[in-house]
Amino acid sequence: MNKFNELLMNHISHWNMVWFGLIFWGSIFNSIALNFGFDKNPLFFYIIGFLFGLLAKHRGTWLWKT
Amino acid sequence: MENIDVSDEFTFDKEKEIARSFSKRFQWEMLVIGIGQALIWLSLWPLVIYGYFSLFLASSIAIICACFAYLPSHEAQHGNFSRGNPKRRWIDSFVSHFTLITIMFPHDLMRCTHMKHHAYTNNPEKDPDYDTASAKSLWEVIVRTQEGTTKYQRVAEVYKDDPAFMKSFNKGMLVGMLYRSVLLVLVVIFPLETLFLWWLPSKIGVIYLSTFFSWYPHYQTDIGRYKDTRFWSHWMPRFFNHSMQLHFIHHLHPGIGHYDEPKAIEALKPFLIARKVPGAEDIPERVKFNPLIKL
Repeated sequence: MNKFNELLMNHISHWNMVWFGLIFWGSIFNSIALNFGFDKNPLFFYIIGFLFGLLAKHRGTWLWKT
Repeated sequence: MENIDVSDEFTFDKEKEIARSFSKRFQWEMLVIGIGQALIWLSLWPLVIYGYFSLFLASSIAIICACFAYLPSHEAQHGNFSRGNPKRRWIDSFVSHFTLITIMFPHDLMRCTHMKHHAYTNNPEKDPDYDTASAKSLWEVIVRTQEGTTKYQRVAEVYKDDPAFMKSFNKGMLVGMLYRSVLLVLVVIFPLETLFLWWLPSKIGVIYLSTFFSWYPHYQTDIGRYKDTRFWSHWMPRFFNHSMQLHFIHHLHPGIGHYDEPKAIEALKPFLIARKVPGAEDIPERVKFNPLIKL
């Protein structure tokens, strides 16, 4: 169980931005698109969210670096 | 404590005695604000989902709630509800956990890092709030507050050999992860509501908090009990920035309740001038409705 917790924590600390991009921003982009009448496959917006998260992970921040 | 020559009239013991007389009252205002704002914020969800409130109106209210969310927790972190009575400690814990829901902050994480902020104010390595307190502009404050967990990983590295700190820290991180999980579930079910009722207000609340609680009071101040926080003025009426012009008195005597600070400052003004607290000369004789605006 401890090993599992350690692996989970390790995964979250490294990949939390990617998961956040995929789920949070993917859902938001999809919802905004639906509100504006774009009925593309939701997968498209989740992929954008995922890429958004991947970029944030690579840069180490969502915003500007100081 | 600094070795400043002060007359016998202004000794630390006398200062402490006066401060203690303002450190007894139960902070009922903070209890009402903390519980009240969280209840209002929670009620916004069904009101928006069932169409009684527009999302724009509810989001505006949620932002106000977020700006009010931290200070009740701050009082609780210092035990200003229980006042040393073990039977009342649950009030500290309950108020702090409940009020912080609006800004998704875990109580234990806030408490342990805030205690370190008091112990090492303005120390670049050890003060967890140094990132925002040392910012050179408001823009820098905004960018630095958005760092999220990266900041706390750095803080944990500094205090990794402090078992009491790490116990609270890890407990706080678990609650933080729980918040994150709830947010990610809610965003799938109610995307725009989650964005405008929780995520955005919490971000704005944290920027507000860092600006007025951390940046302005410690801006360009030094290290040391009477030097690390300043008295400052602002164009904004003090009730809109939670009277953070008076934050220096909190750093000197954290037990003084927030709503008792104006009276305490009036009583302690000569001591603060004698100790050369930054800006102390500008403290008005009476801290009443709003004497702290500087246009």
